[in-house]
Amino acid sequence: MIIRKISHFLCNYENIMPLFAGACTLLFIAGFLFLPIQYTDNQLYPKTIDRNSSLDPYDRGGPPFTQVTIAAQYMENSPAAGLVTSYLTPFSLYLSRTTPHMGTTIVAHPGGIIDEILYNTRGLDTVVEATILFIAFAIASYIYRKV
Amino acid sequence: MWGNYSYGLLVIMIAAVIAFFALAREHDDLHKLLLIDLVEIISLGIIALLGTDLAEALILPGLTVGIAELLALSQIYCTKERIRAAPVKGLNIEVITKADAPLILSVFLVVYGMVLSGFTGGAVAGLGLVFLFISRSYREELNLLEMASGISWALWIFAFFVFMFLPEYWFIALMGAAIGILLKVTVKMSLVGTMWGENHG
Amino acid sequence: MASIGGIPSYILEFGDELVYFTPYTITLFLLALTFTVLVIISRPERQVDIAFGGDAYRAKEISLSEMRFRRFMAIACGLASMGAMVTGDIFNFTLFTAMVGITNVGIVAAVKSPHVQDAAYQYGLVALSATVPLFAGAAVYAAATGSLSMIELMKGTLPAVPLIAKAMLVIGVVGEGMAPFYAAKAEMFRAPGAPYVIMCSLSSLLIFLRVVEVVLLG
Repeated sequence: MIIRKISHFLCNYENIMPLFAGACTLLFIAGFLFLPIQYTDNQLYPKTIDRNSSLDPYDRGGPPFTQVTIAAQYMENSPAAGLVTSYLTPFSLYLSRTTPHMGTTIVAHPGGIIDEILYNTRGLDTVVEATILFIAFAIASYIYRKV
Repeated sequence: MWGNYSYGLLVIMIAAVIAFFALAREHDDLHKLLLIDLVEIISLGIIALLGTDLAEALILPGLTVGIAELLALSQIYCTKERIRAAPVKGLNIEVITKADAPLILSVFLVVYGMVLSGFTGGAVAGLGLVFLFISRSYREELNLLEMASGISWALWIFAFFVFMFLPEYWFIALMGAAIGILLKVTVKMSLVGTMWGENHG
Repeated sequence: MASIGGIPSYILEFGDELVYFTPYTITLFLLALTFTVLVIISRPERQVDIAFGGDAYRAKEISLSEMRFRRFMAIACGLASMGAMVTGDIFNFTLFTAMVGITNVGIVAAVKSPHVQDAAYQYGLVALSATVPLFAGAAVYAAATGSLSMIELMKGTLPAVPLIAKAMLVIGVVGEGMAPFYAAKAEMFRAPGAPYVIMCSLSSLLIFLRVVEVVLLG
């Protein structure tokens, strides 16, 4: 009888979202009990900040075309790691030498630590992410054109 | 042992409880969608607590997935509720004769976007294209834009494989990925812009 | 190195993200592959309405573009499940799972019936909110152990994974894989579905099976 009631409740799909949200609420409440979670200091890609650099929050590399050490999981799998992050386009190089603001726009040019991770060492993530975006656009544009 | 990380996690979890509780109580479909947009921020926060460069790189896919699904869902919502863009007929304001905006603005935005390249470049160049389409009452080819989007996606995948299997050509891969994302973001921006604007012309 | 899945026999390296095959995952991978091939080659069914109490019947009209689109989504769903089966990285696994979720929405949402669209929307909401515990779980994995690689977790040298991270991962997968429980049901009776709806069910089953292995690792 209970199973029948449950399945009767579930067959109305309006109920699914509140049910799932309720389960998540309970999960996060239960999370309080587990709370002091030990943060491991030995992290991948640790962040260090050099306030004096003109590339301030994103300065990880030395001069362009030199390889810097990146704390990746498997260094031997990415022999080119550390080259991307130090690369600056000539225009970016000029900006970084003349103004102290280049670091705030570092994502605007190819190279830098984010590109290093997104394209090089963890490129598969980016492939999947781009594919999800592609799929979502396909759904949206199909439905948009259908009506 | 309570470290900074645990305190941060505590705050995030309280936020998550509030957000999911609100979601569980909400009945209106549109409000559910808006609340989920809010709930997404919690996952970004919990990733950001990592505090390494890896966190920054993980936030980007997390954000993209959220935005992409939100886009698809809002389109489904519009179809489901039979919402259509109501054509605007004659605004009740004094209108000066419509004239084409100078092309130079679009050209400047697109060229500047190309100089920037990468994410921001794509957004700027996309803005330029949207501006061009809107201001010059252009009948754009949606199919063409989609094809460009697909090609740039393929370029990006190609760059990824170069990174993996021919690491000595990393520079080509980097440029390929940068140009791919430039094209992709440009196209997506102009697609979104024109999808909304199409029915008004 | 032994785990529930057996010993990794073949490891494919993509930088930091390894793709590995164990006897367990290769079985699931082959299952997903077979079904994807079936979806590619099979012809979709046609649904027939029979008028009650008479001899009249008519086949429902389905546009070719709708079927093409749903086949595309089903193939993408198959590829996503294949990826989720063999990936050796926690965050990559969550991304593949999220992709399974969105493709399941796509398979259902292409149908014109308002009822089906409503079901797709409700399922989409769950799939979208499920990305929160999913990504949160992966982030706690990384913070607590300092690694996202399943191979490293298998070695047992890293700190233990907090139970809450595992719970988040599981509930996230449950949310993404909820489709068969009702979206497919709404679909099967009101819209022509096979073989694409079967892909919804199969991909959900596969990600459930895989998350069991992932959770037992660290």
